[in-house]
Amino acid sequence: MATRNHDHELLRYRRNQRIIHALLASSFLILLLSGLVLLWDPLSVFASGGTSRLLHRIAAVGFMAVPIAYLIADREGAKELLVDSFKYDRDDIEWIKHMYRYAMGHATEMPPQGRLNAGQKLHHAAVVIVSAAIVVTGLAMWFFKSGLGASGLAWAAIIHDFAMLALTLLLVGHLYFTFVYKALSGMTTGYVPELEAKIEHSKWVEELEAAEHEAAAAKEVPSA
Amino acid sequence: MANAFLLDLGRCIGCQACVVACKAGNELNEGTQYIRILEQVRGTFPNLAGGFDNHRCYHCADAACVAVCPTHALFKEDGLTRLDRDICSGCGYCIESCPYGVPEMVDGRSSKCDACAATTKAGGDPWCVTTCPSRALMYGDKEEVLAEANARVAVMKNRYPNAQVYGETQAGGLGVIMVVPDDPEVLDLPLKPDPPLVSQAWQKVVQPGSIALTGVTIAAAGVAAVIARRNHMAELRAVEDAAAADTTEEV
Repeated sequence: MATRNHDHELLRYRRNQRIIHALLASSFLILLLSGLVLLWDPLSVFASGGTSRLLHRIAAVGFMAVPIAYLIADREGAKELLVDSFKYDRDDIEWIKHMYRYAMGHATEMPPQGRLNAGQKLHHAAVVIVSAAIVVTGLAMWFFKSGLGASGLAWAAIIHDFAMLALTLLLVGHLYFTFVYKALSGMTTGYVPELEAKIEHSKWVEELEAAEHEAAAAKEVPSA
Repeated sequence: MANAFLLDLGRCIGCQACVVACKAGNELNEGTQYIRILEQVRGTFPNLAGGFDNHRCYHCADAACVAVCPTHALFKEDGLTRLDRDICSGCGYCIESCPYGVPEMVDGRSSKCDACAATTKAGGDPWCVTTCPSRALMYGDKEEVLAEANARVAVMKNRYPNAQVYGETQAGGLGVIMVVPDDPEVLDLPLKPDPPLVSQAWQKVVQPGSIALTGVTIAAAGVAAVIARRNHMAELRAVEDAAAADTTEEV
């Protein structure tokens, strides 16, 4: 697939990656709403007879399927995401130190960043770790409820609640940066404007250009 | 006003009349049962005594089931623990949390004694109380029930020196004040049925706190996002202008 289109835009997320993202987003939102039913009294009518619970469990299967689906749909993409998100270089550390400036919309004087900036790395890493906690406590309450006892059940529920609080706050941050840096197109069309990519992910754009030059050079060699 | 039952285990003859009256009076479906009579052999050989465990909801003041019920299907009223099965989600948290193992899952929803809400609110006695032939059951104002229980214990002490009242303090005070002929342990009654602190914190502190924190974060992020986006747009314009100026110079 081409890495750029005619509107000076760069391909940031491949089609399968965007589908996986949609699966994660939709299952998460259903889980959030069907879980909120148990926390917020006006919504509790949706819980009667177990309606919201059924929905919660169906969405939970979708949510847990995300990492597996990602590995099947785009093995390289999944590996890259996981490895990148837990690897921080000197620029990343400097970037994190000045994260406040980036959060307030000033990207130009930030240290150069790769395909993922350090904030996105932290976000992904937190999502992976917290999701593991939510899956473990969720499965415990689903399948081993009678083995937990009164305290065990309450602890599992409290950890589940805190994990969901963390994921919801991470989602607020995720939507915040999407809005501030008008980054939605990366997940809809898959392309982002080159000018903005150069400001926010200069090392990534350099990598893409180097790869393009290499490809072009490789094409020229046989004809020379 | 808090109401309560008196359950005199020194007088219970295990006749099952309360079980039947409860089922018939409340028109309970097959498989639903609020009271279970279990024969008990108490003490250690050779000092054995026979008796009956009248197992039912004891209507704890600090009810664990109410603390963990996410839909408020279980709630406290007049000192008793009611259950509105229409809004029960069938999560089963009450079943795991009850220190007496009382609620049961019937047709996907919790099931337990609601102290004959319909009958007692109209001024009547619960079905089990009306029927009991041995005067082991009584229903009324909690203070009066407690006084009656203490009076009965005083009389029983002659033959049963360990006789005592159970339920005055347990789990904040039970809505079923029991007269027991021996130490509660001997009758398999827990001395500390109080719900663990973590059960109380779960829906009273953690969940409302989480919602509040999320609300505050969304509000703050909303305001900051507008400012930050304006900053970023200005920054982008500056970069575009600089690029345009460069091209003009080159020309």
